[in-house]
Amino acid sequence: MADSQPPGEAARIAQQDEAELVARARAGDRAAFGVLVARYAATARRVARAALGDPDDADDAAQDAMLSALVKLDQYDARRPFGPWLLRIVANAATDRRRRRTVRRVEPLDPALVAGGTRPDQTAERRALGQRLREALATLPARRRMAVVLFDVEGYSHAEIAGVLGIPEGTVRSEVFHARRVLRGLLADWKEEIG
Amino acid sequence: MKEFLPFDHRPDAMIGDALRRALDPGDASVFVARVLGRAERIRQGVGASWDGVLASWARVGVAAAVTVALAAGYVLGRSAAAPAPRRASVADAVLAPATSTTDVEVVLASVIEN
Repeated sequence: MADSQPPGEAARIAQQDEAELVARARAGDRAAFGVLVARYAATARRVARAALGDPDDADDAAQDAMLSALVKLDQYDARRPFGPWLLRIVANAATDRRRRRTVRRVEPLDPALVAGGTRPDQTAERRALGQRLREALATLPARRRMAVVLFDVEGYSHAEIAGVLGIPEGTVRSEVFHARRVLRGLLADWKEEIG
Repeated sequence: MKEFLPFDHRPDAMIGDALRRALDPGDASVFVARVLGRAERIRQGVGASWDGVLASWARVGVAAAVTVALAAGYVLGRSAAAPAPRRASVADAVLAPATSTTDVEVVLASVIEN
C-alpha cells in the first residue's frame, strides 16, 4: 500500500480475496460483508476520528459509511483495491458529518486536552501524549489530518490517498508534509519534557 | 531526531505509532456487531433490496418536500389574496368615479377644514 512497498504476492492474494468477498457480499452473503466490515473497522474508525475528533461521532460516520458502501457495492470496480474505495466513502461521510456539526455548534475544545497537571506516571504519560497528539491534530485542517493518518498510520500511498480524498497527488504530499511538521515538533517537545 | 526530506515518500514509523495509539478506536467487535445489526434491520425493514432502502428514503423526502411546498404556497396565496387596505388620498378622491361620492365628500371636507 505504501509507495516503498510495491504490491507483493500477499497483497495480490489479499486483493483477490477481497474481490471475492465483495462479490459474495454483493450477492447477499452477510458473512462476507461481516468479514469486510471487521477487516476495515479499525482503519475506517481511525480515519473518521482523525476527521471528526469525537470518537462517538467518528463511529457513527464510519458506520454510515459501511452501510453506504454496502448499498453502493454494485458501483465498486473489482479490478481496483477495495480499501481506498471504502475509505473514500468513509472520508466523505466524516466530512459531511463534520460540516453538519459545524453548522450545529461551535466545536468546544476538550478541557481535558488543555488542562495541565502533575507529572504523570508512565501509563498516564502515554495517555497524555495521545491527548496532546489529538489536540495537535485538532489544530490542523480535516483533510490534512486524514492525509497524515492514511499515509503514516494506514500505509496508503500518495496516489491512493489522492483517490480517497479526491485531491491531486501533489496536494496530498503537501498536506502530509505540513501535518508531519507539526506532529514532529510536538513529539520532539514531548521527548525533551520527559527527559 | 534524524533529518527528514520535505516530501518523504516513506511512512514515518514514529508518527504512525504515536497516531495509531492516539486514535485507537478500541474494541472493534462492538462496532462490527452494531454495523451488521443495523444492516440487518434495514434489510428486514424494507426487504432484500438495498435499492428499496434508498427508494423508501427518497419517497419520504419527496413527500416532505411536497408538503412543505404546498404549505408555503397556501401561506403565500393567502397573503397575496388579501392586500392591506389603503387610505384614500386627495388625488384618489378627485379622480374617483361618480359612484363613490361618499368617499369624495369626506376627503374634500377634511381638506377644506384644514
